[in-house]
Amino acid sequence: MAQNSASPAQKPGPLRTFLGSETARWLLFATVSVGAWEVWARWYNAPFLLPAPSRILGEFAKSPTLVLTNGWVTTQEILAGFVLGSLIALLAAMLLLVLPKLVEDFIFRAVITLNSIPFVALASLVVVWLGVNGIGSKVAIAALYAFFALVYHAHKAMASTDVLKEEVLTSYNSTFIQRLRFLKLPSALPIIFTSLKGAAMAAVNGAIVGELFGAFQGLGFMILDSRYVGNTARVFLAAVFCTFVGWLLLGVLAVLERRFVGWHLEMTRQA
Amino acid sequence: MSNASATHPNPERSSQPLVSVRDVSMVFNTGGAQTIALQNASLEVAAGEFISLIGPSGCGKTTLLRLLADLIQPTSGSIRIGGKTPEEARKSRAYGYVFQAPVLYEWRTVLANVMLPLEVMNFPAAERKQRAEKMLALVGLEKFAKHYPWQLSGGMQQRVSIARALSFDPQLLFMDEPFGALDEITRENLNLELLRLWRETGKTVIFVTHSIPEAVFLSTRVVVMTPRPGKIETIIPADLPQPRNFETRETPRFFEVATAVRESLRKGHGFEVVE
Ligand SMILES: Nc1ncnc2c1ncn2[C@@H]1O[C@H](COP(=O)(O)OP(=O)(O)OP(=O)(O)O)[C@@H](O)[C@H]1O
Ligand SMILES: [Mg+2]
Repeated sequence: MAQNSASPAQKPGPLRTFLGSETARWLLFATVSVGAWEVWARWYNAPFLLPAPSRILGEFAKSPTLVLTNGWVTTQEILAGFVLGSLIALLAAMLLLVLPKLVEDFIFRAVITLNSIPFVALASLVVVWLGVNGIGSKVAIAALYAFFALVYHAHKAMASTDVLKEEVLTSYNSTFIQRLRFLKLPSALPIIFTSLKGAAMAAVNGAIVGELFGAFQGLGFMILDSRYVGNTARVFLAAVFCTFVGWLLLGVLAVLERRFVGWHLEMTRQA
Repeated sequence: MSNASATHPNPERSSQPLVSVRDVSMVFNTGGAQTIALQNASLEVAAGEFISLIGPSGCGKTTLLRLLADLIQPTSGSIRIGGKTPEEARKSRAYGYVFQAPVLYEWRTVLANVMLPLEVMNFPAAERKQRAEKMLALVGLEKFAKHYPWQLSGGMQQRVSIARALSFDPQLLFMDEPFGALDEITRENLNLELLRLWRETGKTVIFVTHSIPEAVFLSTRVVVMTPRPGKIETIIPADLPQPRNFETRETPRFFEVATAVRESLRKGHGFEVVE
């Protein structure tokens, strides 16, 4: 709860703290849902359609390196794509603030148009352009997904800062860079972090889609390959691994969010 | 601006006014309708003066300050601040502005908010902190340096914004109802603090208030304004002896000046002057 730091609330014991924590609730959720899945899958008894978690775990135990090596490739694509796409999106969002209105308008229309092309079509084109080999084309697709998830909201948030807060800086005769640094960026950060989480999920999707279209390694490739040979458990294994990578990324972002916009979480009573 | 360090400013003596407003009008166009926020306003303020603007809501007090601060530009007329245009004055960081609303940055602590102008103006880091702490102490908020603005009451937020405007020690101060949200005792205290600061530093203050006693107590002159269209009705000298203190409010002259201000205000409101 967001307690005013001046009036600390009664500290609960360590067990209660743990039970109320985010980790504990995730553990509870995982246990319940995985347990239900296990029971359901065993009762249904059609492993080709719905393998039980234990069977997926067995698949992992059979050849752990398979999912780990492919997973590592995809993780690299996701991370590189996410970082690249987000950075470019943030830079573009800032650049759009200084461009003449006409240019800004033009670019925005371009962004919206690109955004309405089905991503899958774009992704298959990128593979054609950048090639099947290596991770380049997959990084590009993940970056593209992340870029579009972030650029619009980041720009809007920085463009629509409070007029009165701008006037305060105007009265100090501030430069544009100072307005960006002291006002636009910090006031947009809460929205930027929310969009970054979306961008992370988009990068995961982008990397997998890229691999489905053209790759000889990675989780997307593993999913295709396993499906051809009819190994549904291995498809699930790849998907589960993917989920873990996504969670990891979200976790890192949540930590950064707490560090950089803790004030906002507290102010809006989300902390 | 003959002598900025004078402890007893004498407005009559300086030849060139610090602030000069000549025939300034401000018309706002909003959705077809026109609002004359200010009509043919003229005012000269000598260096070291303490001027209060008083008048009913909507008579153009904030508009006048925003014009002086170059946050808006007049429809007609001319403004000079120390011989410069408002834009040049703003660019040379000639004034500090206490806005009518506190307008603090909610991602900055109270201390960091007070340091904001100092960061923009590239003061050395050590000096920033030292100045900000001093200003917080002045407004009685040194214990709240690490709080965030949204953890403070409205009156406390307003005091932070006063500290912020004072932090870089501008010679000219625009204050828009700075003490409006304060309790009577805090207000009286800050009145005295402000007067002390004004006396010791020779600052020039243009101050908006809705309180007649406050205007008379603080000012060298009181500017009474009337609404629709916004006009300067009269300028009343508050020729009470300096330095002012608690006894000032008990003197017959204080009541005479206050009465003059009140009658002028009543005229603006369209009420009969009571004999
Ligand atoms: N940006 C604006 N656009 C349109 N009209 C405006 C604008 N700013 C002020 N006005 C109008 O100008 C008039 C004067 O406003 P101003 O804020 O100067 O009043 P004020 O004397 O400061 O009042 P108060 O005591 O309530 O603060 C009002 O009628 C207001 O509606
Ligand atoms: Mg006002």
